[in-house]
Amino acid sequence: MKENVIENQNKTLLFLLVFIMFSIIVTGIAADGAGRAFNGFLELQFRPARLISDYISERGIGASLINAAAVGMTGLILILIAKVQLSGPTFAALFTMMGFALFGKTPMNILPIILGVFLAGRLVGKSFSEYLIIALFGTALGPLVSMVTVEMGLSGLSAVVVGTGAGIATGFMLPAIAVSVLHFHQGYSLYNLGLSCGFFALFAAAFFRAGGHVFEGLMMWHTSDSAVLILLVPVLSVVLILTGLFSEGKEGLRSFVAVQKHTGRLPSDFMDLESVGGSLINAGLIGLAGSAYILIIGGDFNGPTIGGLLTIIGFGAFGTHLKNSWPVVAGVIVASLIFGKSLTSQGVLLAVIFCTTLAPLAGAFGIITGLAAGFIHLVLVHQTGSWQGGMNLYNNGFAGGLTATLIVSVIAWYRSRNSGFK
Amino acid sequence: MKRKDLILHLVGEISSFLLDEDPRRLVISLHQEENGLHLCFLDENTHTEEELSRIEQKLNSRKRPELAGYYGSMTGHDMLGASRLNLLGWQVKHCDVSSIGSGIKIDIWLGGDDFQNDQFTIPKNGDE
Repeated sequence: MKENVIENQNKTLLFLLVFIMFSIIVTGIAADGAGRAFNGFLELQFRPARLISDYISERGIGASLINAAAVGMTGLILILIAKVQLSGPTFAALFTMMGFALFGKTPMNILPIILGVFLAGRLVGKSFSEYLIIALFGTALGPLVSMVTVEMGLSGLSAVVVGTGAGIATGFMLPAIAVSVLHFHQGYSLYNLGLSCGFFALFAAAFFRAGGHVFEGLMMWHTSDSAVLILLVPVLSVVLILTGLFSEGKEGLRSFVAVQKHTGRLPSDFMDLESVGGSLINAGLIGLAGSAYILIIGGDFNGPTIGGLLTIIGFGAFGTHLKNSWPVVAGVIVASLIFGKSLTSQGVLLAVIFCTTLAPLAGAFGIITGLAAGFIHLVLVHQTGSWQGGMNLYNNGFAGGLTATLIVSVIAWYRSRNSGFK
Repeated sequence: MKRKDLILHLVGEISSFLLDEDPRRLVISLHQEENGLHLCFLDENTHTEEELSRIEQKLNSRKRPELAGYYGSMTGHDMLGASRLNLLGWQVKHCDVSSIGSGIKIDIWLGGDDFQNDQFTIPKNGDE
C-alpha cells in the first residue's frame, strides 16, 4: 500500500517537473524567438561563469531559460538513471540547478564535476545513488570548469580537455569534503555543498593565484523590467500551490501546517516527513513571499534573483518554511540598515534570499538565534566571494555554512557547562 | 566506513534518543556475525503504544541510499539537537520495537544482502 503511495507521488513529481521544464523552454522561445534563444544557449556554454555572470544580461531571457531547462533536465535524467525516488532533496537539487543555470551553470560546465563525483564513488565502492545529492549540488563549481576552459588563455580542444580534467578532479574531491564539513555545522546550514565548494574553491583560488592568475571581478546584472521575468516565479509558485491543493486537498493544507513545526535541520525531507502536497504548498508560498519582497523594495528580477527564488522554492521541500525563515531574513535586513547598505543592492538582495540556508538555526534554537545568524551572515557574505575568486556559485551557502559553524560551536560549548552530576 | 565506526555511530544515535528520557538503566547488547550484526537496546522507561509505533516506523523507514550515503554520516556524530532515528532507519536492515515489562526493547539488525536477520536474536524477555 505504502509502496503504491510512494510510486504515485513519484509520478506526480516527475510529471510536474517535466511540465515545468517544458514550460520554461516554451517561455524562453516565446520571449526571444527560437533562433536567438538556441544560439544564445550554445554561446553560453563557452562564456565565463564566475560570480556574478547574469546570463539574462549576457545572452537574453530565451537563452537563459533554455539553459536552465537543459541543466534541470540533466539533473532529472541523472536521478532517473540512479533510480532514486523524487522527493525533497532531489526536488531541491533540481530547482537549485535550474536557478543557478540563470547565472553560472551550464550543461557543459557541470558534467565533468558530476563525472568526478561518480568516479570518487567508484573508488570507495559507493553506488552513484549514494553520492547523487553531492553530484547534483556540487555543480556549484561549474564556473571553475568554465574559467579553466575560457579564461586561462587556452584555446580549441586543449581548453576543453584541460577544463574537463579540472572539473573531474574537482568533483572527485567533493564527497570527502561534503561529508566532513557537514559535521562543522551539524546540519544547521541547508546549503552544505555551498560550504564544501567554498572550502575547495579557497584552495583552488590560492593555487591559481600562486600561478599568477588574477581574478578580475565580474558584475553582469540585468536591470531592465520585463513582464516575463517578474511573473515567472509567481506563476510557477501558483502552479505548485494548486498542484498541492488539487492532489491532496485538506490533507495538503494539514500537512503544510505540520511542515511549519519542523526545525528544518538537514536532512528534513518534508515530502517524506509530511506529504508531497503540503511541501508543494510550502514551496509555492515561499516563492510568492520572496517575489513579493523583491517587488515591494523595488529590486531587480534577473538571473541571480530569480535563481535565488527558484532555490528557496526547491528547499521549501527540504528544510525551509516561512516560520523558520523569517527571523534569519529579518536579521539580514536589520544588518543592512545598520550598516547603511541599500536593500536593493546586489549583495543584500541575494543575501536576503539565500540566507534562508540558516533557517534551521531559527527553527531549532529560536528567533533570537535566527536574527543573530542573519545579521552575521550579511557581514560575512560580502567578503567570501573574493576569497574564492567567484568560482563557487553558492557564495551565500559558503558564508551561511561558516556562520552556522560559529553559532553551533558556541551553543555546543555553552551546553557543555553542566554534566548534571552533584 | 569501518564496521567498528558504524557500530559506534549507531549506538551513539540510539543511545542519545533513549537517554533523552533519562532512564536509570540502559543495556546495550551486540552480537556480530560475518555478514551482519544484531544490536539490542533495553531501558526501563515506560513508553506508550503510540510512541513504540512511532519509533518502529522511523527505524523501519524506506531505504534512502541518496540520503544514507551522505547525510547518514551524521548518525551518532552530531548530537546538538534532537536525536534522529530516521538516520538509522535508512541504513539498517530491519528493526523491532517492543515493550518489555516496564521498559522498551529495540532490536536492530544490520547486514549485507545475504544476511538473514531472523537467524539470530536474543530472548524476548531481555534476561540475557
